[in-house]
Amino acid sequence: MKIKLVSIPVDNQDKALEFYTEKLNFVKKIDIPVGDGNRWLTLVAGEEQDGPELLLEPSPKDFEPARTYQKALFDAGLPYTQFDVADVEKEYERLTKLGVVFSVKPMEMGTSKLAVFDDTCGNHIQIVEIL
Amino acid sequence: MNLYKKEILRIKDDCYSNQWQLDTVIGLRNYINNNFKENLNLDLFSRIRFVSKYHLLRLFKRYYGQTPNQYLIDKRIEKAKVYIKNGLSISEACYEVGFESLSSFSTLFKRKTGFSPRAYQKSNFR
Repeated sequence: MKIKLVSIPVDNQDKALEFYTEKLNFVKKIDIPVGDGNRWLTLVAGEEQDGPELLLEPSPKDFEPARTYQKALFDAGLPYTQFDVADVEKEYERLTKLGVVFSVKPMEMGTSKLAVFDDTCGNHIQIVEIL
Repeated sequence: MNLYKKEILRIKDDCYSNQWQLDTVIGLRNYINNNFKENLNLDLFSRIRFVSKYHLLRLFKRYYGQTPNQYLIDKRIEKAKVYIKNGLSISEACYEVGFESLSSFSTLFKRKTGFSPRAYQKSNFR
């Protein structure tokens, strides 16, 4: 058994595709229509294109419990998931210049440095650098 | 302040208030990152960080969840994958990352990646 894919819920797949590719430098890998205007839409990290795929899942749009759960996490400021970066400060500067809004500015916590931003699709996302 | 920020600050206070311990393990991890090709062992780590080796072992495991040696092996395997991907032969990659025995390299590589080095090389690096 292998982990090949992880998913995050997004309230709008088009907007999510734009944010994740244009701001986070992810690359579209699979894009298949699955009816009702939804797509099986996966991305890979630009820096690791043979790595696991990230599924932009449209569940909050059509499934109320998913919408409720996503909103509860967001309101509490809890990141839905996290991505590794080499340098949190640099990434914070780069993304801030692109208009990305951070709810937690870079801070050290033990043996890691982290920051949290709004992905504009209903999620907080954490970036982490292991010190 | 939202719930997550409160939790971060709580965890920081509860678990990460000893800066000397943090500096010690972060320093050791950096040393391993910069010297993974060399012949490294716990006695050396202990001398470098001025901490008894068993205390250092416990500290590293407490903060990183693995022993210095486990971290070193992970680091070497990760680098070996890059070297193989970049065209080095398996034995070149093995010695380049600091292993002294091809058989232990192969065993550890398979345990960590699920592939033997040869299978990894042939798998198009997935």
